[in-house]
Amino acid sequence: MDTGTAYGLRLGSPLHDLAQVGQGTGYGEVLRRYWQPVALSEDATTRPKRLKVLGEELTLFRTRKGEVGLLHPRCIHRGASLYYGGVEDDGIRCCYHGWVFDTEGKCLEQPCEPEMGLHRDRVRQPWYPTQERYGLIWAYMGPSDRKPVLPRYDTFENLPEGEQLIVDDNGVGGGGPALLDFNWLQHWENVMDPFHVPILHARFSGNQFTPEMALIPEVSYEYTSNGVRSIQMRSLGDGRELRRVTEVMFPNLRVVASPKLASGQTNMIGWVVPEDDTSFRIFTIARDADPDFLKKLRSTHEGRPWADLDEADHQRLPGDYEAQKSQGDISLHSEDHLTTTDQGVAMVRRMMAKQVKAVAAGNDPAGLIRDETKAVVPVIGGNYFQGELLTEEQREAVDD
Amino acid sequence: MAKYEALRPSGARALLVLGISDVVALEDEAAVKVEVKHVSAWGRWARDVAVPVDAADVIAELGRHFDIVWASEWGHNAHTAFGEALGLPAEPWPFLPVQFDKLAAIRNYARGLPWVWIDGDVVDLHPQDPEDGEGIILRVDPGVGISGLDVGALVAAVEDLAASADAP
Repeated sequence: MDTGTAYGLRLGSPLHDLAQVGQGTGYGEVLRRYWQPVALSEDATTRPKRLKVLGEELTLFRTRKGEVGLLHPRCIHRGASLYYGGVEDDGIRCCYHGWVFDTEGKCLEQPCEPEMGLHRDRVRQPWYPTQERYGLIWAYMGPSDRKPVLPRYDTFENLPEGEQLIVDDNGVGGGGPALLDFNWLQHWENVMDPFHVPILHARFSGNQFTPEMALIPEVSYEYTSNGVRSIQMRSLGDGRELRRVTEVMFPNLRVVASPKLASGQTNMIGWVVPEDDTSFRIFTIARDADPDFLKKLRSTHEGRPWADLDEADHQRLPGDYEAQKSQGDISLHSEDHLTTTDQGVAMVRRMMAKQVKAVAAGNDPAGLIRDETKAVVPVIGGNYFQGELLTEEQREAVDD
Repeated sequence: MAKYEALRPSGARALLVLGISDVVALEDEAAVKVEVKHVSAWGRWARDVAVPVDAADVIAELGRHFDIVWASEWGHNAHTAFGEALGLPAEPWPFLPVQFDKLAAIRNYARGLPWVWIDGDVVDLHPQDPEDGEGIILRVDPGVGISGLDVGALVAAVEDLAASADAP
């Protein structure tokens, strides 16, 4: 008799507590305890822009005086969208009856009302605080009394002569389109899965990175104060050893050094920012002398960009996008068979569960910074060839 | 058989279902004496974990009274990785490859055998209590783990459980 056939198969369910991002969901509340990049600075202009972040529709604009506003789009008067509003010196004016809101949602004018609105200071357009740093707009979408410091990252501070910051929201590292159309966790936890590299990115996609990356590494994992780290050792066969360090930092940072093996501390960090439960963007900051560094970093398939592949090519040369998208709009985590190569993924999920519980209990999640004097986060991720040394600050961070 | 099917227990003894993290590998600041052990899975990966110094003795004592089964995200690596650190028998114990909300998997595996499940509470995304007489859930302090566990009391509790299940 045949056994194990698909007849009667009942599939399981996602780990919603970790995968969902909306208000009131487990990890959605964790994500909301940190500042999130939501747009490039250049995208905030006097022309309102629609954003969707963590399942919430928002309107982004920059007043004529240069302040960034991030407001709930539905005008509190009667619901017209501020996307159609007009941006002025101090705020945005609703197209319907002209109510004006500043960047903190305060109502400045109600022009059809007596005296510009006798009660206008009693209403508030829902808004979120923003900051600009490293060429990105950052928003804090959590409870007001829990707002932390917006971190800095040592790799982006004190740029060497000739280097500049480069920002990108086109999905660097995603291996597919700019807006990735599946659950963000499938991408983020993949960062702690170094074992897929020699299979997917060498055996299947053709050597997408370098020949060294096709070697199966010996990996050690460790929890850090703000995430999970993997250290991958590869003997390169020429007497050299490559020590590649990859990190996830909470709540959604990917610290992945160039897979093309640029030497030393990574020069880039990505933020995996969900639009909603089934789509996300990757905001990447890099420092490099070449302004096209991130564009050139995009992986190719036999030399061709992902967008140029047809369906047969996608099947023959699958990469990260094909693997992760095909796990489902939201993967059915209960169906997973976590095994030897999934230790890093399991550690990420476990640490996520801890943060869900911490936040639900009213505590701060991992890595949150409240002291401005400690706002600079040391980044350890990178490619270190035998003989290369960490800086003293990096060493201390490792020891911590 | 889409899902992994664990080796069946002997059926002669109650089950002892063990998590790993927080139980034998402490993740919080340790409140008991620990040793850092370098554990590895087939050389593929390694981790340094804090193991209570008396964990091996506690597990050995548990093994005298229960059929032990691992239930964790460590999967089949549980026994391999901790074999030396905990002085485990060469023949691996069965394992349930489940990370969160493990009760259904335990229940399904036990098939009516009485059980004790020892774990940290991180795994309970949606905490559930056992049904009357079904089993005992024991949650450990993540700074203590299995250290100092009163095995005798646990054995007595399971005997009571079995007795209550047999009662008319």
